[in-house]
Amino acid sequence: MNTLMNHILFLNNLEGFFFGSGKAHVVTGVSLIILAGIAFSMWRMDRRLTQLENEKNDTPS
Amino acid sequence: MYSGFQSTLQTAKTIASLEWRLEWRQGHQIASVGMFALSSVYVAFQAARNDVSADAWSAMLWMVYLFSGFTAVGRLFDRERSSARRYLQWTVDPLGLMLGKLAHAIFTTTGLSAVVLCGFLLFLGWPTGETAKMGIVVFAAWLGGLSMTTTLVFVTAVASQVKAGGSALGAILGLPLLIPQLILATRLTVGALQGTPWSLVAEIPLFLTTLCAGTSIMACILFPYIWRA
Amino acid sequence: MRYWNSVWKMGGILLLAYVIVRGFGTPLQPGLVEANPSRLKPGLADLELKAVGQPFAEENAPIEGHQLILKSDQDLIATNLTRISPHSVQASVVIPDLLPSPALDAFLFTPSSGTLFLGNAFFVEGAGTGPVPQAFAATPPAEVDPNLGFSFPYQPNIIESIRNLLWHVPMWFAMFFVMGIGFVASLMQLRTDKADWDHRSEAAVRTGLVFGILGLITGSLWARWTWGAWWVSDPQLNGALVTVLLYTGYLLLRAAMGEDERVGRITAVYNVFAFVMLVILLMVLPRYTESLHPGKDGNPGFNSYDLDNSLRAVFYPAVIGWGALCYWMYTLRLRMNRLEYRLLNE
Repeated sequence: MNTLMNHILFLNNLEGFFFGSGKAHVVTGVSLIILAGIAFSMWRMDRRLTQLENEKNDTPS
Repeated sequence: MYSGFQSTLQTAKTIASLEWRLEWRQGHQIASVGMFALSSVYVAFQAARNDVSADAWSAMLWMVYLFSGFTAVGRLFDRERSSARRYLQWTVDPLGLMLGKLAHAIFTTTGLSAVVLCGFLLFLGWPTGETAKMGIVVFAAWLGGLSMTTTLVFVTAVASQVKAGGSALGAILGLPLLIPQLILATRLTVGALQGTPWSLVAEIPLFLTTLCAGTSIMACILFPYIWRA
Repeated sequence: MRYWNSVWKMGGILLLAYVIVRGFGTPLQPGLVEANPSRLKPGLADLELKAVGQPFAEENAPIEGHQLILKSDQDLIATNLTRISPHSVQASVVIPDLLPSPALDAFLFTPSSGTLFLGNAFFVEGAGTGPVPQAFAATPPAEVDPNLGFSFPYQPNIIESIRNLLWHVPMWFAMFFVMGIGFVASLMQLRTDKADWDHRSEAAVRTGLVFGILGLITGSLWARWTWGAWWVSDPQLNGALVTVLLYTGYLLLRAAMGEDERVGRITAVYNVFAFVMLVILLMVLPRYTESLHPGKDGNPGFNSYDLDNSLRAVFYPAVIGWGALCYWMYTLRLRMNRLEYRLLNE
């Protein structure tokens, strides 16, 4: 475990593990894109449901 | 004649003795469970040969126990499913019925523990010889088995409400619920086999009893809702 | 009131965006991670200490200001402290023949990052047991209280993975939250026998299961990093697995019952049972057995993580954000269930 950790941590001695290599920004970016995707699809679903509910309420069977 | 609770107890007694007599008359059902248990023990013996560690011994014990328990309890509500017995729904107090079934599960567990443990003794012996605390091993097998069967009684009751494939569903719903009991029971058996002092494992029976009591109480509270559904 | 429905949903998403940016963008406080060689013999020894968080960056820390002390009840002082890179230093130390205990902790005093500590950094083989001779005694410098700015606390073993706290824990909270809604709905279903309560509990279990599985995945990743294995046998982990399997069983039971008109009642009974088991397995039993998982040992919180103010400022928004997302999902599923029911029954 220690070897693995060191391998990752000190892969590039001059850069910090997390920030120097710019990986954190990639992870942040990908996470934000996924979040936006989820939010968008849920928003669309929400609107469609509202539409269907309104249709159902307008035409009583 | 009877007050509410007394009549419930009366029902429980009737159901338990009825179950017991039916089992006895239809001897093949008891025999099939016993056969299943013994042949699994024999398979375990063949797979392990000699040189069985305490871990392997208790692992095999609980595997055998688990599947025998499923066969023994899995058909507990089969009779209540048939349409000929539907009238019971209107005449029998559900709480009494549940208590009766739980009492029956206690008998089943005791019998099953005796069969399985005797089988293990006969074929595999005590893995750790003198150091094993036999009393605790027997107690662990019984209590662990009891907490398994009481859980299974409720799960079987739920699964029996499904029209098709109830017994398979019982196994699917029951297995995850039995994981904690199995972990605790295995720890207790291994401890007892290795001669761990009672004070170090004393909390495990407490947990098992808690789980056992918890599932039984939940079963008694919830069963009437299934029964009258 | 009319816009409130949009506001909380957008608010939840924005909070989560803030959590992602802050969670991944906040630097970690510096800390020592490894000492090399970790086994020493009496006599002169050359050491190397590695750190995360760049505590030895040139611009903020002249190396002369650092002092390395090795402690085993008494202090040993290291000399020739030299900086190799922003996160490693070299030093030499003379190990005496007598030590109070063979395990040595390292304390590195820095002017910019405060005291860096590594417990059991070195193990001395071949030294006798006894008090350290006077000549080796050292006095540690005065501790400075560094101003590290907005940064996450350094925890040994956890290190950068502390950011997972903002995903793993709130996901379980969110699961508990909707499963609780499902439990109440099932109780109401049993009391009133109204189909709407059944729609609620179905939606709750389905949403809760999604978050439970996400919680398992994030937990498994975390376990691989900190404990070295994807899965370990631990009361808390077993309880979590059983919970997820139990609620999968709920959906299976539902599917198996199909169009049966008693489906609401039977599944409500099962759901009440499942939730009680969940409380017993995840909240009661793990507290009475020893567990690797933090926040146990009779302690309901997770103060073993030293939730400091920076972490709190992101953790609480994370809890609210994940909760809002989870609740939004639940309402979507609930409205779907209701629409389906109305289409089939009107």
